[in-house]
Parts: sequence; C-alpha cells; structure tokens
Amino acid sequence: MKISSVAARRAAALILLIALWESASRLGWLDPFYMPAPSSVARVMMQLFAGGELWTHLGATFAAAFTGLAAGLVLGVGLGFAAALSPVLAELLEPVMVLLNAIPRVILAPLFVIWLGIGLASKVALALVLVSVLMFFAVYNGIREVDQRLVERIRTLGGGRRFLVREVYVPSVTAWVMGNLKVAVGFAFTGAVVGEFVASSRGLGYLLQFAQSTYNAGLTIALIVVIMAFVLLLFALSERLERRLLRWRQT
Amino acid sequence: MLRVRGLTVAFGGPPVLENIDLDVKAGQFTSLIGPSGSGKTSILRAVTALLSPQTGTVDLDVPANDVGFLFQDDALLPWRTARQNVALGLRIRGIAPGPAAEKADRWLSLLGLDGFGDRYPRQLSGGQRKRVAIAQVLVLEPRLLLMDEPFASLDAIVRMRITEELLGWVEREHLTVLLVTHDLEEAISASDVVYVLSQGPSATIRARHEVNIARPRHVLGTRRDPMFAPLLERLWEDLS
Ligand SMILES: Nc1ncnc2c1ncn2[C@@H]1O[C@H](COP(=O)(O)OP(=O)(O)OP(=O)(O)O)[C@@H](O)[C@H]1O
Ligand SMILES: [Mg+2]
Repeated sequence: MKISSVAARRAAALILLIALWESASRLGWLDPFYMPAPSSVARVMMQLFAGGELWTHLGATFAAAFTGLAAGLVLGVGLGFAAALSPVLAELLEPVMVLLNAIPRVILAPLFVIWLGIGLASKVALALVLVSVLMFFAVYNGIREVDQRLVERIRTLGGGRRFLVREVYVPSVTAWVMGNLKVAVGFAFTGAVVGEFVASSRGLGYLLQFAQSTYNAGLTIALIVVIMAFVLLLFALSERLERRLLRWRQT
Repeated sequence: MLRVRGLTVAFGGPPVLENIDLDVKAGQFTSLIGPSGSGKTSILRAVTALLSPQTGTVDLDVPANDVGFLFQDDALLPWRTARQNVALGLRIRGIAPGPAAEKADRWLSLLGLDGFGDRYPRQLSGGQRKRVAIAQVLVLEPRLLLMDEPFASLDAIVRMRITEELLGWVEREHLTVLLVTHDLEEAISASDVVYVLSQGPSATIRARHEVNIARPRHVLGTRRDPMFAPLLERLWEDLS
C-alpha cells in the first residue's frame, strides 16, 4: 500500500515531466536539433526496433557485457578468496587491485583495442576488469570481516576448515557478492558500451558513437533510453536473485 | 573432569585473571559467579582453547568433542534455519542429513520450539534464539557442559522453566556442568559447588562453597532449604 503509492507518485512525476517536455517542444521553446520532443524520440525508437538492426547491436552488447560479467565474477571471487586465504598472494595482489580501483578503469579501453582488436574480446576485457576489481574487494573484505563469533561456534562444535568454508565463509561471501551484484551488472554494461564507443563495428556503443558523429540527438536519446531500460530490467532480475539467495535476511 | 591450575590471562596489559585454580568433578554441577568484567568468560574460553593463557594448565579428561560450550551471546548462523543450526554439530560428526535433522527436531520440540525448525534466526525472538543455541549444544550430548550466562536474556518465566528442565536433565544424565552466572540464587539452586571470582583486574578465586542440598532439586524448593539463605548471604559478602 505504502510502496505502491510511492511508485504511483513517482510514475506521475515522470509522466508530468515528459508532458512538460513535449509541450515545451511543441511550443517551440526547445530546439529540436538539441532536444527533440519525446514523441519524436519515441518514433526513432520504434524505427530502431522495427528495422531489426537494433537486435544485432543489442546482441553484441549483451554478449560482451554478460561474458565480461561472468568472467569477472569468477576471476574476482576466485582472486578474493585466494588472497584472503594466502597472505603472500594478498601482499602481491592488494596494491595492484588498489591501483586498479583508484584509476578510472575505462582508460584501459584503448589499450585493450590495441591488444585484442576491435572485436568482442576488447569489450569483454574491459567489462571483466571493471567487474573483477569490484568483486575482488567484496570477497576479500567480506572474508576478512567474517563474524569471528561464528568461526568460534564452528570450532567449538568440532568443525574444521571444510565446515568453516562451507558454513561461514561461503555464505557470508555470497551475501557480499549479492549485495554488489547490481553494481557489477552496471559495471559490465559500462565496460561493454564504453569499449564499443572507443572502437567497434557493432553494439549499442557503436550506434551511440555513430549518432554522436552525425549530431543525431534523437537517436542518441533513444539509445540512452534503450540502454537504461535493459539495465533496469537486469537490475530487477538481480534483485530477485538477491532476495532468493538472501532469504534469511528477511524478518 | 576439568582441572585448571595457575591460570593467568592477560590481553597485552596487566593480567585480567591471575593464578586461577578450579576443579569440576565428574557428575557435579559447578557454578562460577563474579562481577561483570572479572573474567568469567575468559576462563571458559581458556578451557575451550579459544584463548591461550599466559601461564597455567587446563586438564580435561574428556576429548574436546565431548565438551559443549554454550556462548554468552546467541550468534547462530544467520543463513541457516533453526533446524540446520541445531543439526550442525551432528553433521560435523559425520551424521547423515536425514537422521541429523530428525534429532534436531526432537531437541527443538523438547525446548518448546515445535514447528520453528524452518525459521531463520532473524525470524525468532531473543528467547527462542537462545533456546536454539541451547539445543545446538545439548543435541551433541556433551559429557562436560560449559554455559556462559545462558539465561541472562530470558524472561523470568521462560528462565525458570528452562532452568528447571535443565536441572532435571542434568540430574538424570549425570551431566557435568560448569555454569557462569550473575544470578546468585540460580547458582545455589543448581550447583554442588559455587566458585566466586573477585573483582578484576587480576581477578582470583575468592571463595569456594559446597551446596549440600539434596537432589533431585526443584528451583523453588531449594529456596526453602535451610541452607539457602545463609549461603546466599555468604555469597553476597564474598562479592562485596
Ligand atoms: N579479546 C580481548 N581483548 C582485550 N581485552 C579483553 C578481551 N576479552 C576480554 N577482555 C577484557 O577482559 C576482562 C574480562 O572479560 P570477560 O569477558 O572474561 O568478563 P566476564 O566476567 O565474562 O564479564 P561479563 O559478566 O560482563 O560477561 C574485561 O575487562 C574485558 O574487557
Ligand atoms: Mg562474560
């Protein structure tokens, strides 16, 4: 009841904003070259979908984002676990990860294009770096901040390393990873789209780059809306997954 | 069953506990009382090797797996159900999931938690969580049971009932218990021997009293015993 009324107010505000924008355009207050009306953006979007071409671009971006996300999760979680369990490895990895975390990682994009070409691989690499650094810290800190009282419980119940990992470390790391999943999805798309933007022949980033170089504001806005819609859809899906895996959090 | 000699514990400063001698005899119920922060929990942690003492020895004549430790706080695994939490020690001992769950359910219902097996700790009240923690330890049928203020968070009614149940259970099973408590009356009602720890730092054993009240006992009955009131007074004096 409460939540739905909040959602209703937000939807109303959004509709109002779009209506204002549309009327401002019709009244000639906005230059259509810079700020086309919502209705013409919608028309561009319809053409995009109807043309069928969009799907191959969407497919390319999704492929890069998901491959990067999956590989980044595996790599980040793996390295995080390894570093938390081996102090020597942590000594070596931590400064690298702190550095990678501190810089805007998208500056690596041109390098990946030079190394891996303008195909899928360079986009996957960028998404992977973005996601794996995030996940590394989630897991590494997650393990170090594991509730020591739970560790003691397992010990006094007679459990060794196997039970500690299974009953304490894996579940607390899962909580950390799931808590960061939405951010990771966002990062994966950032990596894929920025990678395409830098150099590619396919993908939403490529379309954006094309729209920008032809000064097509309508197409640019339409693409931004499309990307937002898909990322929001993925957010909703990861939220579902999070709620399922972290059922124990609900009271 | 348990012999502590010359135990000194420090956390990088002056000793918290100094030269503690303490015996828990097989089949006896021993209580340890003392002011807050005097080092009662630290003694239990030294006994279970969660803490390594500066000096002194801890001799147990049962394997570590036969020692049950009920912690002061009831930190259950938040991502496991009540049943899974209770079954945990059984699973660690290699018992298959089916039988372990069955046994866990029996203990849950023994502690008045019928039908709560599928709840996660967050979905339980403080008293219910405490009872799950008790079941988690008792299900392993330990020969030596260490309890750190197990009833502190329970309301008077539940507390009385659980104490009574535990007392009956201890007497029936000839269980050896070391109970840490703030509650002097509880200590007298339940124990054969009461140790009093002095105010820290450098807390030591200030007194040792035997409680010669006949068993089987009932929590309320023991209070009417002629030994009860004088002993209570002695404990107050020891603590002040
Ligand atoms: N890990 C630790 N590091 C430093 N000091 C500690 C640590 N654990 C306990 N202490 C200190 O040792 C003293 C004894 O603590 P302990 O927990 O054994 O007391 P207690 O008698 O169980 O108190 P309470 O009745 O409040 O539970 C306290 O002063 C406490 O601050
Ligand atoms: Mg304590």
